[in-house]
Amino acid sequence: MVETVLLVGVVASVFVGFNIGGSSTGIAWGPAVGAGLLRKVTAAALMTVFVFLGGWTVGRNVMDTLSGDIISIEISLAAGVAVLFFIGLGILIANVFGVPVPTSMTTVGAIAGLGLATGTLNYETITWIISWWVVTPVLGLWIGATVGRYIYPELNRRFEIRASEGPLLALDRNGSLPTPTLGPNTTTQELAGTIVVFVIGCYMAFSAGASNVPNAVAPLVSSGALEVDTAIVIATVAIGLGGFTIARRTMESVGSELSDIPLLAALIVMLTASTITTALSWIGIPISLVMASVMTIVGLGWGRATRPITAREAIRGDTDAELAMGALTAESDAPITKIGEAESEEALDAGDLFNPRAIVKYVSMWIIGPAMSTLLAYGFFVAVGIS
Amino acid sequence: MISRVLVPMDGSEMSEHALEYALEAYPDADITVLCVVGEPSSMWGSATGLALADDLEVAAQEHAQSTFDRARELAADADDDATLETVFELGHPVRAILDRADDYETVVVGSHGGSLSDRLFVGNVAEKVVRRSPVPVVVVR
Repeated sequence: MVETVLLVGVVASVFVGFNIGGSSTGIAWGPAVGAGLLRKVTAAALMTVFVFLGGWTVGRNVMDTLSGDIISIEISLAAGVAVLFFIGLGILIANVFGVPVPTSMTTVGAIAGLGLATGTLNYETITWIISWWVVTPVLGLWIGATVGRYIYPELNRRFEIRASEGPLLALDRNGSLPTPTLGPNTTTQELAGTIVVFVIGCYMAFSAGASNVPNAVAPLVSSGALEVDTAIVIATVAIGLGGFTIARRTMESVGSELSDIPLLAALIVMLTASTITTALSWIGIPISLVMASVMTIVGLGWGRATRPITAREAIRGDTDAELAMGALTAESDAPITKIGEAESEEALDAGDLFNPRAIVKYVSMWIIGPAMSTLLAYGFFVAVGIS
Repeated sequence: MISRVLVPMDGSEMSEHALEYALEAYPDADITVLCVVGEPSSMWGSATGLALADDLEVAAQEHAQSTFDRARELAADADDDATLETVFELGHPVRAILDRADDYETVVVGSHGGSLSDRLFVGNVAEKVVRRSPVPVVVVR
């Protein structure tokens, strides 16, 4: 009997891990693959290795929080399996509707629901976690906005990362030993840029492992049904499986969102989000990689859109206005007066891109997601009477 | 006699039907195709991509271009006296449409645009335009 329940639990774990692998591989490697710097298979292989490293090291702290600190009793095997189903349900909804539902938040929500139903919720821990969930988006937004406003234009002038024709590296066979040299068309800057993309992708994969490996297996670890080490390996295999299979698709969907922004900006986002995620995982806070990523993206764009206009840019602004007039009325047969009217009040304003109400609506999804999982789990555990 | 018609297009098939209808129903009118770029999406990639572009106008124009090209094809197919004007706006489609609607006599919209997730992030544009537009709205379905 116990074996059957455990088997069902492991299958649920693998389902969760598989889906996590799909989405987080898309975020970590989508930009690099999109820029043609890396093949999808290579990305999936790197993903698996660094997810394992992240889960094995920093991930243990999050595992402790999820499996032992949120509720004061251990999560029984049966309850753990039920919790995993709620996590899986959240992921399923996310995939079907194309909404980024943060897995870490769903997990904490489902475990908290169990805690509420059994009266064992550790309020101190849950408050601590939730307060970090409030701080993280603000932090991401602030970092993104600062970089976007003051640093990005300068960085953008200096770095250009692109893939040139031909292989990146070639073997120079003239010497006594074949030595790698730059491939045809490869500049030193391109090589450096590619290395940066690699390193940051690996870092993001590491942070994905640290934050997400525990989501897939912590509910089974709590009761001792799975050893921590075994659990980490199972989660890694499942995430890797997702990376090699469905990530081909998510690299195009999730990755395409990221590739709408310049590669340099994507790298800044990845670096910031990975650092936030790794740091919080280190202190045992379950945090979503997507959450930190999105808020940094919004911050970057918003910071850039609302940057203070310097004298030089104001002068350039004049020419922009003329361009806008031409662009806005492209192929127009309208009388000139109408063009004039339109231009005077309708110059493009980058600030329009970040409608505060749309952002609030977006963030509210992060509150609804975990709240739903808490309520569903609470209702379920009360109805079934598991403790 | 309707002479100024606004047709917001998002590149979806439904919005193409809206333009086809407008061309057919108002053959002599000046039709303006409005394309809103950089709308909210699941990770805000498109909005941020535009904000970070070196030249906002050029980038926005590029995003809107395929929709405009398609619109001109449709207008050429219809082969009537309507003149087609194209404009683009940034940000939230509903706001952009309502901001401009005042200058027109009618707005023709498709009943819905993209996928379910688009609906979640942007909402049903047609519904909101119908509810808040200062001028009559034709919803094509």
